[in-house]
Amino acid sequence: MSALKRVQQWATFARIWHVYDAAWQNPFESAQVLKKYLKGMHKPIYHPMNDCGDHVIVLNSAEIALPGDEWKKRVYFHHTGYPGGASWTLAWELHNKDPTMVLRKAVYNSMKGNLQRRYTMERLHIFPDANVPKELMGNVSNQIRQVRPIPKRLDHYPEEDVTQFPKVIDYPKDYVVK
Amino acid sequence: MSLLWFSKNVLSKNSVLFNFRSISTTPQLQIKEIKEIQKGKELTIYGEIFKSPREPYVLNNNHSSACPVCASGLDIKHTDVLILSQFVRSDGCMLPRRITGLCRKQQKRLMPNLNPSWSKKDPKRRYGWKKFNKYFDESTIKC
Ligand SMILES: [Zn+2]
Repeated sequence: MSALKRVQQWATFARIWHVYDAAWQNPFESAQVLKKYLKGMHKPIYHPMNDCGDHVIVLNSAEIALPGDEWKKRVYFHHTGYPGGASWTLAWELHNKDPTMVLRKAVYNSMKGNLQRRYTMERLHIFPDANVPKELMGNVSNQIRQVRPIPKRLDHYPEEDVTQFPKVIDYPKDYVVK
Repeated sequence: MSLLWFSKNVLSKNSVLFNFRSISTTPQLQIKEIKEIQKGKELTIYGEIFKSPREPYVLNNNHSSACPVCASGLDIKHTDVLILSQFVRSDGCMLPRRITGLCRKQQKRLMPNLNPSWSKKDPKRRYGWKKFNKYFDESTIKC
């Protein structure tokens, strides 16, 4: 086996670590992307019986964004098993309790309920902010592209860009600046 | 109330003082900023005149009858902060129609929600579900 073939062999069967910034991302759209990396579906050697899934580190899960009023419309159901043990939690209440849970459940529910799902979820590492342990971040060799563009605030633009941007209106001649 | 009483008092005593022309047929000079300087007992109020900083960057309106936004053909959304900020006073309120010069439809459509940097309205400190990030699908926003 030549050196090239040997390295190719390692690269094919190595577990790769990816990083994903969840700031301003829809967790349900992101889940469709993340699950492919977690299961290894982006690899040519993929097979459901083939344990070739990768690790994914998700940053800033507290900063995820939901469309419209979905924070107060989406409901998570739980039943303790006892009579009267049903409870319904709104998405924003769940996000208050644990800012990683909405994304974790989104990825979990995006996958079919088979024996592999629990093991696939073990490879997902979600952090509410950017404070990731160094030993985890040292493994990372790829970044997953975000599914939505991050909206840019006016104070995030440099001063010159704001002043030199083409103007639709000018002040009237007798305008008193406030 | 006290102000009203004061003005009444002054008016009755020497109404000659207010005998000046407050209407001018031409715009009162250029864009200006009213400044007040207190020096001991002396209060100086003056208008500092300056040229419009926007002048070199204004789009020219080729349609004589249309308002600037209609003429430009822009479909302005809530994320276009660089455009929306042009219609906003320094405290984040929208300028009135007599200053923006827009048609009624566009003035109503452009309701900017821009806070100045010193605003205390931090979205992260809102109550309940309002403090979390949300977005709107721009392709579905009508009018
Ligand atoms: Zn118009």
